[in-house]
Amino acid sequence: MLITLEETISLINEGKILHIAGDDSLLSALPKGKWIGGTTPYFIGEDGGVCTKDRLSVTELGFAEDVRITSYGKYNVFQIVEECFDNGLNLIILPYGSDVITKYSKEAPEVEELLMHPTMGWISGFKLDEEGVAKVYDGMSGEAYTDRAVVMFIKLPEGKSAMINMINIFTDDKSDPVIRFSDNELSVRKCTVDGREINLSEYIEKNGINAMMPLVADYNGAYINTSIKAVENGTVSFYAPVFKDVEYRFAKPVGDYAEEFKRSIDAAGPHDPIISFNCILNYMNGELEGKKIPPYTGPITFGEVAYQLLNQTLVYCEIL
Amino acid sequence: MEAAVQEKIERILKGELKYSSSNLAFNMLITKMQKKLQADPGSMGSCMEEMDAFLAKYPIVAKVDLANIAAL
Repeated sequence: MLITLEETISLINEGKILHIAGDDSLLSALPKGKWIGGTTPYFIGEDGGVCTKDRLSVTELGFAEDVRITSYGKYNVFQIVEECFDNGLNLIILPYGSDVITKYSKEAPEVEELLMHPTMGWISGFKLDEEGVAKVYDGMSGEAYTDRAVVMFIKLPEGKSAMINMINIFTDDKSDPVIRFSDNELSVRKCTVDGREINLSEYIEKNGINAMMPLVADYNGAYINTSIKAVENGTVSFYAPVFKDVEYRFAKPVGDYAEEFKRSIDAAGPHDPIISFNCILNYMNGELEGKKIPPYTGPITFGEVAYQLLNQTLVYCEIL
Repeated sequence: MEAAVQEKIERILKGELKYSSSNLAFNMLITKMQKKLQADPGSMGSCMEEMDAFLAKYPIVAKVDLANIAAL
């Protein structure tokens, strides 16, 4: 729900367990309590998509039996798998542009036990036309960070499980060339296309590929996107890493992004998410300002986490 | 886990059978185990242990997915 600073302060002072997203000017005015937060002025509220610095997106996590809040840097972020509740949900927020994201994004897929512990979250950001600084907040200590991830470990009631899923409008065409990379990288010059080594930026240019289309990898039917950040000086940089030993293809072109996004939401069927995070690229390209996408509300993000860092997806969690 | 289902899971990990779950973590785990097995063909035992551990921890997933895998 999108509410005012005063309403949010009341909830914190009542001892509610909260996830909060909003502008830094509001987050920095909140009292200590059982909450974590991250910066963004973009949201999907009950009345639709909105960019505002006057309200906060607040999700009450009333199902939690217990919570602990901790922050981690790049050297210890994967301690989350050791320090979390055995039957729980880990909510992580990482600040855009930080080293801890680089570490998390490159190594998460290979971390032992991570898939055994439901972990979801998002990358905090700022207003796109301003030179902002992304921050995360540990409400328990009152500390804000630009270089650390904040994690809320949520203990679930006996017999309940957290199920994390995503909505992604992109798929691939299996007849398209297979692209492979030699390492886990956030920017590349070379790759192989159907086994032939080439310069990726030249390949994109020569083949007239729309760089708005992400690379997609098929994880047994779950398509994981890697969005292109820039193609310049012979280098292609990404918002999330590409991984070695993973087959990629460019996503099939999407005609009407907004219509396709709506169709994907409908196709996902009925769900009862306790929280969701939606990518800024979906917000912009899907023209979500003023549009409702029930039952999904929450912050618009600079990246989503469903165990690993994702791009251009809507990530949500249900408690079953 | 029934022997027939175990055999099918092994075939999924070897890439001989296609299976897609409605559970994201399970799809990610299958992909991770497929990569592990490609890198080390002798690791089937440890891959199956990880699959077992996941399914034991998430009986809601296991109930649906093991039935679907059995029907492959």
